[in-house]
Amino acid sequence: MTALLRLENVTKRFGGLVAVDSMNLDVHHGEALGIVGPNGSGKTTLYNVISGVYVPDEGKVLFEGADITRVPIYRRSPMGMGRTFQIPRPFASASVRENVAVGAMFGSLADKLSVDQSLEMADHYLEVMGISEHRDKPAGNLTPVEKKLMEMARAFAMKPKLLLMDEAMAGMHPKDIDGIVSLMKRIQREEGVAVISMVEHIMRAVKGFADRVVVIHQGRKLVDAPTAEALSDQRVVDVYLGRPNVEESDATS
Amino acid sequence: MLLEQLAGNLTQGLLLGAVYGVATMGLSLIFGVLRVVNVGHGAFIMAGAFITYWLFVLLGLPPPAAIPIALVIGIALGLVFFYLIMRRLIGAPELATLLATFAIGILLEEVAKVLWGSEFRGFNWALGKIALPITVIPLTKLYAFLGAIAIAVLVYLWFKKTRAGTAIRTVVEDAEGARVCGVNVGRVYGTSFAVGIGLTVMSGVLLTMFIPVGINPYMGAGYTLKAFVIAVLGGLTSPWGAFYAGLIFGLVENGSYTLFSLLPNVEPFALTRFLSFAILLGLLLWKPTGLLGGK
Amino acid sequence: MAAPRWSGLMKYLPLLPVYAAYIILLLLGLYLPGMWQMVALVLFYAAVGQAFNVFIGMTRYVDFGYVAFIALGSYGMAIAISRLAAFPQLGVGIIAIGLILGVVMAVLLSIAVGGVALRLRGAYFAIATIGVSEGFRYFIDGAKIWGGSEGIIFSRQLKEVFGPTANSLSTFWADVLVLLIAIVAAFVTIHYMRTRVGYALTALREDEDAAKVMGINVTKYKIIAFVTSAAFAGLIGASAWALKTTYVFPADVFLITYTVEAIVIVMLGGAGTLLGPVVGGLVYGLSKYWLAIALPGYQLLIFAPALLVIIVTFPQGIVGVVKRKVKGTALERYIV
Repeated sequence: MTALLRLENVTKRFGGLVAVDSMNLDVHHGEALGIVGPNGSGKTTLYNVISGVYVPDEGKVLFEGADITRVPIYRRSPMGMGRTFQIPRPFASASVRENVAVGAMFGSLADKLSVDQSLEMADHYLEVMGISEHRDKPAGNLTPVEKKLMEMARAFAMKPKLLLMDEAMAGMHPKDIDGIVSLMKRIQREEGVAVISMVEHIMRAVKGFADRVVVIHQGRKLVDAPTAEALSDQRVVDVYLGRPNVEESDATS
Repeated sequence: MLLEQLAGNLTQGLLLGAVYGVATMGLSLIFGVLRVVNVGHGAFIMAGAFITYWLFVLLGLPPPAAIPIALVIGIALGLVFFYLIMRRLIGAPELATLLATFAIGILLEEVAKVLWGSEFRGFNWALGKIALPITVIPLTKLYAFLGAIAIAVLVYLWFKKTRAGTAIRTVVEDAEGARVCGVNVGRVYGTSFAVGIGLTVMSGVLLTMFIPVGINPYMGAGYTLKAFVIAVLGGLTSPWGAFYAGLIFGLVENGSYTLFSLLPNVEPFALTRFLSFAILLGLLLWKPTGLLGGK
Repeated sequence: MAAPRWSGLMKYLPLLPVYAAYIILLLLGLYLPGMWQMVALVLFYAAVGQAFNVFIGMTRYVDFGYVAFIALGSYGMAIAISRLAAFPQLGVGIIAIGLILGVVMAVLLSIAVGGVALRLRGAYFAIATIGVSEGFRYFIDGAKIWGGSEGIIFSRQLKEVFGPTANSLSTFWADVLVLLIAIVAAFVTIHYMRTRVGYALTALREDEDAAKVMGINVTKYKIIAFVTSAAFAGLIGASAWALKTTYVFPADVFLITYTVEAIVIVMLGGAGTLLGPVVGGLVYGLSKYWLAIALPGYQLLIFAPALLVIIVTFPQGIVGVVKRKVKGTALERYIV
């Protein structure tokens, strides 16, 4: 079966700096993948290439077999690609309900949903996320955790096949993180959405959530393996404890 | 003779271009530091023009003497507007600052109209002409040109050598980083705005040295458009870019005027102004970062 | 639990206060002696506000060259009447053609400018539009089209076609047309707000990049708002300007003053709200009327600092403030 998302030899440079280096990556339908890497490892660039913010200098991005390397950002959503941001970006003056409805309206079901149906779908996801009580408040008035939940509701309302989650857990209380992770896992399973979660080193979140982990270092894949295996891999330990010879180890999976 | 005329026009264009360049430096400075588009730009040029006029007519001061006075008045105006209005709009959506600078410009124009009426004024400060290899130009225009160059150099030195100038450059690069390094970003904003306005008002003096007629409260509008074309051409955030772009613009403007005069049944002055707008649109579409770099 | 739900016709409830205001104004103008001029002025500003609000209110982009669309609308009517006067049998049809021509011209310009300039971000877009009005005016002057700087005078032709009713056309029916435009513009505004277009515009207004990621083709929606706004401007120019004054020339119509007025009306009333332009039009129209009597020539001098005060102290406008106050009450669904 074709991979949902496939990166073939993707390279992205900024001036002389190679942010992503000949990256090959497959993401499968319904999979929960964690991409782990310290700051500067190139994972944000990778995200931006997948979501269309950057066009790679070399290589291809394939979604469900189709070449989307140069497809503009706004066309990726109807195809089934959703994304959240590290720091939530709500449409502040619109209500929470309207925010989430936007996801439904312009997502993968864009042509099939009326405005009213989108609002109903928004209600559904607000309930799933547990923030129904804030439905009519301006999104800008929510607490950071609530904004995060709303952001996720909005992303799921897009009915994506692939969801890119950007550092979902940074800066939050461990209790909140646990709650959100299990929520995400549940929805991901129920909806069959492939989720790529991008984290720097919040190991708990990754362990609770990801079936498979890809560790990125200096623009290249260091490890690509099921979670348990990856986390006990010596190279991963080296990257996080900063042993000087790490640069020499090559990307293998 | 056509070639002579063209050469003469182009030279004048270059001279005027330097003045245009200085007139735009303030605009680029304000945008570069504060990310504010000073839509009322032309009104401040008008202020400089009137300052020159009144100093000349009432006190007999020759325009070059008005330059430092205009700078001081301009900086004062800039400080007033910054602390009264612009400072409260830091972080506000773009619409707010656009409308604010727009309203400030209108306010200046209306105050001028109420004070001095809307009729056109001019003064006569002729010093004779000087003969250059290709053409003859009035001395006053030459002085305006030299003044513009001098100011550009001084501004350059100010940026490079003084604490204030360096602080400004760091904020343009990276405001957050500068703040972390202890730069008082709020004060930099105020200084930049004030200096930017000061430069603009001062350029009004140079402009009247070049064109000592047609001074009226609404004279700024045309210059605002030109300034934007030049600023975009020069890279919108870079005062140097603005200066060089001014030179280019001056050349193009005068050159095109000559060309349009050759065409039958058109009004060359109006068409030249239309050309500025067309150039602006073209630039914004294809090279919004300017031909000469900058951010 | 019960949050107001918008279904079917209920979605258009907010039109009630707007239309009520229009009807009251109309009745006042018709039945109180001497009030028609003032009512017409207020309706004019409300219409301009509605038209401008579709763009600036819903996208928060500023088009400093907005007056060009109104001006082109004027030209459309002027051209229609002056050229078609040779066919008086067309009668009112000429007015209709004038209106259509005005709209078409304004829309064409908006597509040309918008198609180019709306790919740019806020500040760059504003810069681009600064020259539109100037640029077009000097194009007419310079290329000497449509009468060049002398413009078109068509009072004679109007009389030729309509005889004695030409007068009431200019002094009454033109204003009725404006009222109709204001009614339609309000409807289109709420319709946009309640459909995909409105959601897309809200999203791109709040955060253009996030909107793109959500799947919104921001340029397309910006253009929709821009062209709609321009179309109404064209209609207004054709009726409220050309038909009333029976002449048009560049220096008179391409004045930035009119753009200032539109901005003040929308900001004062409440940008992005439905009721805002009505309130703004009312306040501004009345103020201007009385200022013209009390302090002629000082209008801009007063409105410029007024705009500054609005921007600094209550940028959400009068209706914006009211909206906040009525949140959670029964009035909430009417004040939009």
